[in-house]
Amino acid sequence: MSFEVQRGEEQRHSPAVDLHDIQATVLRYRPEPYFGTHLFLHINNAHGGREFLRRLAPHISSASDWWNAEDPWIAVAISYPGLVALGVPEDSLQSFPEAFRVGMAARAEKLCDYGANDPKNWDRPFGSGQIHIQVSIISDTVEKWRLTMEMARQQYQGFSSVTVLLIQNFGAQPGSLNSLGYKDSIGQPAIEGSGVDPLPGQGQPIKAGEFILGYPGESGVPLAMPQPDVLGRNSTYVGLRKYQSRVGAFNRFLQANGQTDQERELLAAKLVGRWRSGAPLTLAPAEDDVPLGGDPQRNNDFTYAGDPQGIRAPLGCHMRRMNPRDTKMPVLTDVNIHRIIRRSTTYGAPYDRSAMSEHDDEVERGIYFLFISAKAMNTLEFLQQEWINDGNFMNLGNERDPIVGLQDEGAPFTIPKEPVRHRIHGIETFNVLRGGEYLFMPSLSALNWLAGLNGDALES
Amino acid sequence: MATQKQVKTGSDQSSDLEQRVQKLRELYADASEIGKTALENVIRALKSGAPAKEPVARIESAGRIGRRQGKVSELTVIVPLAPGGAKRLRGFLEALHGSIGNELVDMVGTVHDMRFVFLDNDTKLLFCTAYDGDWDAYIEDFATKIPDILDLQFGDTEGWPGVRSPRVKDHIASHQITADFWYVANPNLTVVETRRLERIGNAMEEFLDKIS
Repeated sequence: MSFEVQRGEEQRHSPAVDLHDIQATVLRYRPEPYFGTHLFLHINNAHGGREFLRRLAPHISSASDWWNAEDPWIAVAISYPGLVALGVPEDSLQSFPEAFRVGMAARAEKLCDYGANDPKNWDRPFGSGQIHIQVSIISDTVEKWRLTMEMARQQYQGFSSVTVLLIQNFGAQPGSLNSLGYKDSIGQPAIEGSGVDPLPGQGQPIKAGEFILGYPGESGVPLAMPQPDVLGRNSTYVGLRKYQSRVGAFNRFLQANGQTDQERELLAAKLVGRWRSGAPLTLAPAEDDVPLGGDPQRNNDFTYAGDPQGIRAPLGCHMRRMNPRDTKMPVLTDVNIHRIIRRSTTYGAPYDRSAMSEHDDEVERGIYFLFISAKAMNTLEFLQQEWINDGNFMNLGNERDPIVGLQDEGAPFTIPKEPVRHRIHGIETFNVLRGGEYLFMPSLSALNWLAGLNGDALES
Repeated sequence: MATQKQVKTGSDQSSDLEQRVQKLRELYADASEIGKTALENVIRALKSGAPAKEPVARIESAGRIGRRQGKVSELTVIVPLAPGGAKRLRGFLEALHGSIGNELVDMVGTVHDMRFVFLDNDTKLLFCTAYDGDWDAYIEDFATKIPDILDLQFGDTEGWPGVRSPRVKDHIASHQITADFWYVANPNLTVVETRRLERIGNAMEEFLDKIS
């Protein structure tokens, strides 16, 4: 007898999602290879800010045909101070969730962002309230990226109402590997009603309302939406986390805990749950399998049914923490309501296997991690508290995520083994937080509403 | 969580104690003779005892509302019941916990204890629990995994919007009362951790039995 609601019991209606009104970046996977730029802008006056949005709006791609990633695209998202600066009416501003209104830096305690990750150590302009608009340009070739970037530039260059705070190029990494040398962004959630069959291993599609405002979520009810409806529906939230990768510390850890290259690479795979190629330990437990890692039809096609103890993929590895799938957990958890769409973008110097020094820890390289969720603030707080900076849900005590966790001195990492587990002490923080923002990603109708294009007069 | 410890010198501690004693004497000026005598005895014991140790776990907030010590949080709710609600709820709890209720709570894995007390001629419910973690971390999980159990447990309380409602958290918070004082014996042990230690302890005893 079970009182748990089992998936599939209820009729899963699939309300089609309004692809033409949703920004492309919500659904479109980052291409590989990829080239792009994040622009962070400040609005100097409401009138000019809306004028800028009016200029930009025709260039923002919708999610129609989102499965075609050959087209470059531009995405736009607006912070709470940005909505204020645009002159959004007070009752509408108050309809946004509190965590969004106060911003990511102000929620540091709830996010376990202390010590090295404390907002006081962040790079400017993050956490300062200065960032109003983020514009991202993403493309699969250098040429298309340059052309698209130029098109975006034309919308703000010489326009005194908008100040550019930061231009951050990303991508163009050898083999599209991230700053710690792994293939990333594998295993995105499948979204119900988005018009494409899930990839093998993606699991049953998750209700659209978890990722896009205005649709029923997993509980069957839509989330509270910012008002008016035209602003909320088909919009969503983006959480941005800028990480500096401490490549020296990472390599020193592998060196100290592996005698041979083979042992070090296995340890690197145990931390993530995947080899550097992307091949999952669940399917390739002994050695890397490059063709498997590169094959989207196969590299995510597994469950943990055959590996309940984590002998292959450790219970505490990054991949298993961030999506426990069918892992039997000691805490009642609905794995479908803590998923996020990830748009990870690597910046700076490529991963360097020979980098060992503390100086190498500060060489500019890392990840602008963007994640999309209709409840991004709640979800990030849950992930940071429960799945990243704790181990209770996997029966691992205080152990933290080996890749994005904030490690205390002497912190452990457990590798299940027969007959007894192997525990490494002294894992360090390999990715240090250097910035973060919550942003609202308007639908195309909402963008027009914000720009004043549909005739609604906002306060100026 | 990082715990910032404030190191206090011996003289700071004794002046702290003097201030507290002073405050207590003022408070008890109007108390009964029994109370006054007891207070003086306790003050004498306090002053002769060893200096106070640093608290093991920092007392902090459970998040939105309630108190937290280490990993454990407390929740106390007093809420009016619908007419006939107490009878239904009593019957439901008896039926549930007489059969599989405890297994169900075991499965939740974050609940240390839970009690339902009917007050004022069955017109109000007092609900108290100690649980692991932050106030709202798992409420959504309950709403999608065991919504019917929660709607039966709280459906007879006044204004219950349904566990799936986006308003459910505000509703609970509006009836919650934060404890003024709360003691936790093992603030660093979660339910999951306690069970793990129990298993390890049993295995260790079995091992020792075999080798002795």
